[in-house]
Amino acid sequence: MKIVSLLLRLALGGAFVVAGTLKFLQPATFAADIGNYRLLPHEAINLLAITLPWIEVVAGILLALGVWRRASAAVIAVMLMIFLVAIGQALARGLDVRCGCFGTVEARKVSGLALGQDTALLAVAVWLVWRERN
Amino acid sequence: MWRTIQRALLIVLAGSTVGLVTNAISPRGIPYIAPPTPRLQASDIVPFQEVQELWKGGATFFLDARSPADYAAGHIANAFSLPVEDFDQYYPHVAAMLTPDSSIVVYCDGQQCDLSHRLMVKLRALGYGHVRALVNGWTVWQTAGLPSHRGEQP
Repeated sequence: MKIVSLLLRLALGGAFVVAGTLKFLQPATFAADIGNYRLLPHEAINLLAITLPWIEVVAGILLALGVWRRASAAVIAVMLMIFLVAIGQALARGLDVRCGCFGTVEARKVSGLALGQDTALLAVAVWLVWRERN
Repeated sequence: MWRTIQRALLIVLAGSTVGLVTNAISPRGIPYIAPPTPRLQASDIVPFQEVQELWKGGATFFLDARSPADYAAGHIANAFSLPVEDFDQYYPHVAAMLTPDSSIVVYCDGQQCDLSHRLMVKLRALGYGHVRALVNGWTVWQTAGLPSHRGEQP
């Protein structure tokens, strides 16, 4: 189980470092992506676009390195839950928006696939939080 | 438990701080609070009926405001790519063909997409007097089965 948890930490942490990096490299694009989800008041959009990518990167690095495992996995789990709500409501409302999940390298629109991916990552994060109790 | 919450909050705080500082010094930084975008006026919108005639007439420039990747994946036939997010990089390629009197239709995709609107604002600021937007352009165009192309900018 040790090796499984190590691999999952590296994969999940790595995914968040990549996702965060792609976003902070193009803050204007990410801000536009957030805006398209039509969830937040106008004033909050840029602040989230500025801060969220770096929270992803910091939590991802810590999780991959195995520092503060439980806390970093928990932060990632909470972010994934928020993404799940955002993607879910976009799908439910029929919004035709770019996912924005991994910057612009994937131009894909929000879809059931993104929802499934998010759920799978969330399962990993929750398992890590549970595993690192005590 | 309490220690985990404290650490989690520290992670959020640290990430936010790095983000706020980085944004201040980065050349790609954005305003902390975005200025409100003016809403589209009725006169800014070109009706779909009219847009088909304009396209057939051949004298109107169609500009795709979406990302180059979206453009390459499919666009209105004879449209040029002018991604508003990379305006400065792409504008020179398009500028040679345009005059201030050119008839221009900008479009992006999705009812809520504001890329074309932002492109229209930029072009008008540069002196182009006849720019209008086709709302939900790419979807509307495709749905109507009108000619489209794939691939990069010709």
